[in-house]
Amino acid sequence: MAQVIINRLKKTFPPPTKDGDPVVAIGDISLEVEGNVFVSIVGPSGCGKSTLLNILSGVETPTSGTVSVTEGGRAAHLGYVFQDARLLPWRTVMDNMLYVRDDGDAGETKATRYLDMVGLSHTHDMFPGQLSGGMQQRVGIARAFSVEPDLLLMDEPFSHLDAITARSLRDHLQELWSATRKTVLFVTHDVVEAVQLSDRIIVLAPGGRIFDDISIDLPHPRRATDPKVATLQAEILGRFEEMHPAPATA
Amino acid sequence: MTAAPVALPEAPAPQGGLRRWLSSPIGAQVTAAVVFIGAWQLLTVIAPRVPGPADVANFLFVEITGGSHGGIVRGQFFEHFAVTLQRFLLGLFFGFVSGLLVGILIGSSTLARALLNDTVLVLLTMPAFVWAFLTTMWFGITWQAPVLTVAFSAFPFVAINVAQGVRAIAPELRNMSTAFEVGRWKQFRHLTVPAVAGYIFAGLRFAIIIGWNGILLSEWFSGQAGVGFRTRYWFDANRYRGFVGWVIVFIVFIVLVDRVLLNRLQARAFRWRDQKEVDFIEIQEEQVGL
Repeated sequence: MAQVIINRLKKTFPPPTKDGDPVVAIGDISLEVEGNVFVSIVGPSGCGKSTLLNILSGVETPTSGTVSVTEGGRAAHLGYVFQDARLLPWRTVMDNMLYVRDDGDAGETKATRYLDMVGLSHTHDMFPGQLSGGMQQRVGIARAFSVEPDLLLMDEPFSHLDAITARSLRDHLQELWSATRKTVLFVTHDVVEAVQLSDRIIVLAPGGRIFDDISIDLPHPRRATDPKVATLQAEILGRFEEMHPAPATA
Repeated sequence: MTAAPVALPEAPAPQGGLRRWLSSPIGAQVTAAVVFIGAWQLLTVIAPRVPGPADVANFLFVEITGGSHGGIVRGQFFEHFAVTLQRFLLGLFFGFVSGLLVGILIGSSTLARALLNDTVLVLLTMPAFVWAFLTTMWFGITWQAPVLTVAFSAFPFVAINVAQGVRAIAPELRNMSTAFEVGRWKQFRHLTVPAVAGYIFAGLRFAIIIGWNGILLSEWFSGQAGVGFRTRYWFDANRYRGFVGWVIVFIVFIVLVDRVLLNRLQARAFRWRDQKEVDFIEIQEEQVGL
């Protein structure tokens, strides 16, 4: 059960041009996440969602403030699902699964189990180039779950896929999550997706600050067409409109 | 109303046997070889001091099998070839390994790039014969001179290519490895080496060709044995068929290494690129609702 504590986090990037101002990716974020919860971070492009995950995973360092990701007092073990699958194209599916693990045969058994859970156990010996985009992303999801992380970070994992494939992958993800109950931080710009998947939605505003923090108390798994889900989606989309007032018409 | 008849382009005329033969891969190669040998034969008519193909073939047969050839000791093909090959492989090994290490260093560290990149570029511009002279001056008539000539000539080609390859590795895959805390050695084996494989092959190809040139020059100047030495031996003896015969041996060796060895290694390293996409699996799964 991972504990994430983010305290007064700021991140600025150097100015893109010589005379420009530094780019503020995260203005000031303080946040706590604890327990077996599925938390979505929602917001428009450029509000620092992906930067936040990169800082949590150690790919980027904060400009100021602190982040701590722990599990029972020790540093938490992380899994990551990216926007694209990020598989090594020259390694087979199984070798890609084993690339992120340190245990030989035991690792293979676990990797097989998770591949099976996303319906891809028959692709062991195939190369990523032989799989469709959706199948590659499923391998990416299985890979992240197979390291049995304390905290799973997901960065818009379905945004590059067509609507039908994305929908079936969301169902897969719900099944996997119900079976494992990992702590998940899920970045998306899709409110509909966030409501279907999450226990809690954190809405970020441009400039990288928290605009809203919403709890969702509906049983899992949820169907996108469920009226309760649809009502909540409409309500949260309404709050989004408060953040971005519709342009006035003449 | 009926549409006006559209004139279809005429079907290509059936091709003749000769044309089909010429456009087939084997046919083209055989024809090119026959034309080359014919032109060579013609040259011997114009310039009588040029040894003809039959002459050279006869020389090579004798040089390899050890038959009688005008009273000069011969039949030493394999001995000389083995000496050169040993030196060549040793030099190539040193040049390749050091080129690989320096290339990875230059590609992955800006400091190493600032310090070493220009040096490697300067080495790249040094012709092999300069190394052949220098190593002979440094080491005299020893085995070190040809070995180091190969190593020095091969090194910068491998280093420059590998450095470029390392810099071209997708940062997304590096970030993925960092996020999953993949160890450095594992990243080197499964990410760096395969990602750079194409560049390594390009570097190795150049290294082999340049290194082979280098060893022949070095042996020509300072050898007591070896392919370069033997070529000079026949040149000094005024036996041009011997000289041309050994030149043909160099060429055949390089072509064989390139076509047989390197091409096969390359096909093996890149087998992941040649796999066909299997759409039917996805189709089956969509049908069962996965």
